Order: sequence, then C-alpha cells, then structure tokens
Amino acid sequence: MSVEPWVVLSFCAMIFFIGFTGVLIRRNILVVLMSIELMLNAVNLTFVTFSKHLQHMGGQMSVFFVITVAAAESAVGLGLVIAMFRTLRSVDTDQIQFLKE
Amino acid sequence: MEVLKTIRPELLTLSQEQLNCLLPYFTVFGGTCLSIVLSVWGGLKPKWPVFLVTSLTCIIAMFLGSSSGDGTSHTLFNGMMVADAYSQFFNVIFLGAALFTIFSSFRYLDDEKLQHPEYYVLVMFAALGMMLMASALDLIVIFIALELMSLSVYILVGFRRNDRKSNEAAMKYFILGSAASAVLLYGSALIYGATGSTEIRSVLKFLQEHPQSLNPIFGLGFALVLFGFLFKVASVPFHMWMPDVYEGAPVPVTGFMTTGLKAAAFATFVRILATMGYGNGISAAIQNHLHDVLWVSCALTMLLGNFIALTQVNLKRMLAYSSIAHTGYLLLGILSGTRSELGFAPGVMYILVYAAMNLGAFVILTLLAAEGDSKLNLHDLSGVARRHPWLAFAMSVFLLSMAGIPPTAGFAAKYLVFYSAIQANEIPLAVIGVLSSAVSVYYYLRVLVYMYMKDPVGSPPVLRISLWSGLAVAAMILITIQVGVLPERMIDLAKRAVLSL
Repeated sequence: MSVEPWVVLSFCAMIFFIGFTGVLIRRNILVVLMSIELMLNAVNLTFVTFSKHLQHMGGQMSVFFVITVAAAESAVGLGLVIAMFRTLRSVDTDQIQFLKE
Repeated sequence: MEVLKTIRPELLTLSQEQLNCLLPYFTVFGGTCLSIVLSVWGGLKPKWPVFLVTSLTCIIAMFLGSSSGDGTSHTLFNGMMVADAYSQFFNVIFLGAALFTIFSSFRYLDDEKLQHPEYYVLVMFAALGMMLMASALDLIVIFIALELMSLSVYILVGFRRNDRKSNEAAMKYFILGSAASAVLLYGSALIYGATGSTEIRSVLKFLQEHPQSLNPIFGLGFALVLFGFLFKVASVPFHMWMPDVYEGAPVPVTGFMTTGLKAAAFATFVRILATMGYGNGISAAIQNHLHDVLWVSCALTMLLGNFIALTQVNLKRMLAYSSIAHTGYLLLGILSGTRSELGFAPGVMYILVYAAMNLGAFVILTLLAAEGDSKLNLHDLSGVARRHPWLAFAMSVFLLSMAGIPPTAGFAAKYLVFYSAIQANEIPLAVIGVLSSAVSVYYYLRVLVYMYMKDPVGSPPVLRISLWSGLAVAAMILITIQVGVLPERMIDLAKRAVLSL
C-alpha cells in the first residue's frame, strides 16, 4: 500500500505548525526546545517525502545535515538553559522580564 | 536510485585555482582550530597566544581574500559555493569586523573578568559562518553556515554567564533565532519540493524552463525563506528580539552583531534575490508580491526604528533602534536595486559604511562601559569631551556619519541609496527615508550635546584606553572619513562586487 505524498506533506505541515505554536505559547523553556526540535523534524520528513516523490537523493542528503545541526542546536540550547537556571532559579519564560522596557 | 551511480570523480577534486579561492576559508578554519588547541594546551596561559593567533588569522585571511581573486568567479564544490568579487568584498567586511571586535574585547574581557579563550574562538567561528553564507549558492549550505554563525553568537550573547541580563538575552535570542532558522529551512524544503533542487541557480533554471510550475508550494517556500531573512536582519515586524538582545549582550558582542551578522544576512539575501532573478522578470506575480512585502517592511522599519530611538536614554538600546532604522535604508537600497543604473551597488556600499561606523561607535562604548556594562546612559556621557577629547571627537565622527552629515561616509552612502530609490521611482519611500533620517539627527546630536556641553556628574574615573582599541577606532575613523571624502573608489569596488553576482 502506498501513501500519497500530499498526505505525508500535510502531516508534516501540521507537525511544523504544532511546533511553531509551541514555541509561541508554551511557558516552559524545555518544552519550547522540544517544539523547535519538532519543527526541524517536520522539515526532515518534508525533505524525505519530496526526495522519494522526485526520485532525487538531494533531499535525503539534506536530512543528515539538518540532523547534525539540530543536535548542535539542542546542545547549545540546553547549555543556555542551565546557565539561565543558575541565575534565575527557573526555566519559565514568564521569568524573562528583566529586559523589558 | 540512479543518482548514486553517477558520482563523478572530477567533482570531488579541486583545481589549483579553486584551492586559491578557498585559501581564506581554510586559513580561518585552521587558525580557529589552532586556537582551540592553544586554549587547552597544558601549562600555557592561553590569553596572549589565542589573541595573537586569532588576530593574525584574520589579517592573513583578509590579505589572501583581497589579493587572490582575478575578478572572475569560480564555482566550487559542484555548484554549492562560489568565490567571486562579491564574496571577496564581504569576506573583508566580516574578517574586519571579527578582527576589530577581538581588538576591542581584549582589555574589556580582562576588566570584566571574562577572559576565556573560547570568546575569540567563537568570534572566529561566527566569522567563518558569515564568510560561507556570503559565498553559498545552495539553500542547505546557507542554512548550515547560518547556524554556524548563529550558534556561535548565541553563546557569545550569553557569555557573561553570571549575569541575569546576559542569560535572558541569550535565551530569548536562541528561541526566536532557532524558530526563524527552522522557518527558513522549511521554506528551503518546500522550494526543493517544487523545483527538485536546493541550488539557487538550478531553481532558477527550472523555473525558467517550466513557468507553469510556479505553484503555491514554491510561493509558500519562497515566502518562508523571505520571512526567515527578514527576521535575521531584524526588519519590522520581525524586530522585537533585537533591542533586548543588544542590550543584554556584552558591548563588543553587540558591536559584532550589528555589523557582521547584519552584513552576512544582507549579503545572502541580496545574492538569493539577484540569483533567483529578482528583476529578471521571472514571474510578475512573485515579483509584485516580493516588492509589496519589502516596501511595507522597509517603510515601517525606517519609521519605527527612528521614532523609538528618540525616546531611549540607554546608549546601547538607542544604537539598537538606530540599527533597525539603518536596516530600513539597506532594504530601500535592495528594493530599488533592480531598476536603477547602479543596481545593488548602493545597498552593498551602505552595508560596508554602516559596518565601519557602527563598529567604531561600539568600540567607544566598550571603552566607556563600567563594570557589568553599566554607565551607558546618556547622562553618564556628560563632559566626556573634557576628559577625553579624542574619544569624544571619534564618537562625534561616527554619530555624524550615522546621521548622514557630510563629509562622512554615512552621507555618501545615504545619498546613493536615496538617489537610486528616486531613479527606481520609489518616491514615497525616498521621502519617508529622508524625513525619518532627519528625525534621527535629533537623537544622534543629543549624544554630542551631552559629551560637549554638559558638566560631568560627580567625578567619573579616567578611562584607560588600550592600544588595540585605539587602533580599532583609528581604522574605523579612517574608513569613515576616507569614504566620505573620496567615495568613488568604494563605489567602484561595490559595483564590481555586484556585477559578479
């Protein structure tokens, strides 16, 4: 049984949108980091779907690079969360208000 | 799949010419790796070696980058990268920004007890990311270079680890920046799906051969890439992160961000627009949409940046809003680039001039900042001219240049941008630009008033000005005045860079 590309693509778009909404509305920074990962993984799935659909390897190659970058990104993100937790004693985005006008 | 069988060995080797083009990149990479080794070498105090190695690397790479090219463009790595006059032009800007950031940070890091060798390494990695960004021809390469640059800068923004402001700024920048990168990447994926390639030139070729393939998927992908870039250059309405991040970051890092990051994002943006055929009549529909989006963003950016800057008392924040305003002028240069005789040259020249004057201003702010980046409010500048006449003079030159008053570089660059806007028949935008630029003179001159006409409050300490910072300020003054008095050479350079696109 084969799945139509548009089904997978709409699924990806949905995951991407869920991730984007998560970044905007969630308050816990760890959940926000997960949402960012979700967005990147939706992109990966999009690349793979197009790659299969177009019979072209470029998309699958791109996925490797994106996975690598995502790993680096979460490493830096978690490092920043730890640094913030040390001074703020919280991982809540509501606490980030020192810099407001 | 078929593609796997068609790997051609000649694509994996480099010719002598290509190697020459790549030398600056290899130099920066090698120098950075060497500094990593030096910073953990047992029994060695890493401060001086790392400082010297990174600055020397910058100087050597600048020299190699500006002398190696013969004006022709070389495509590298199977069309993923290109070395041409355009990337050369920008490489010099990025390396200069990195070099003078390192110079101005040296004493500052000592004073703030932040002297860790990682700082220099991260600045160099960010510079390498910028260089790759400006020469990338493939959307995936652009994404990787962008992330190399951004990840380094996220850490630099949070470099003052025990300071709450710095942590918050880094966190904010990280979340919004990663989300924007993901949006840009999703756009690239959609463009790939619509055209079957991530290489910008192949995308254009495909669209020219199959005009009917301009489907909604391509449109959406292009829009997402556009929004990603508008976020990176911090134009309205994607500017919210910028003032907070600029205020929270250590001063030299802020200077590096306003110059290097912005120049890199704009360089890539212009390259994509120029290569994707903005102005080549690829599709009237997309072009009109693009024009409208850029028009609105440009007008709002110029107005909002200048008007909010009026109310700021913190110098870092004021320069952040002024930086948003300058983004507006840059967008104006790009917007009118397709229909004026000078092309993108005024915009490209504005990037260089803006980088020079802004970097200079931030080197001076670095000198003025007291412990923890405090004492950067307007009234803290009272009477600086009496204690440090040269410093006040230098700051005045940079501020007058930002306001666009002759004979400084800012005037020449602004004149060219507005001139090309009028040629391109963007009269309303040119009017908005000139008027908002007149507004900006108020907040720039206010700093001068405080420096020259107010009495100092209390007895502020006399600043120690390090040799390196002095060098950085002198170099920036030289560029600002030289380009202001004799702009022809710089215009020619910018024209050559743009023609190679």
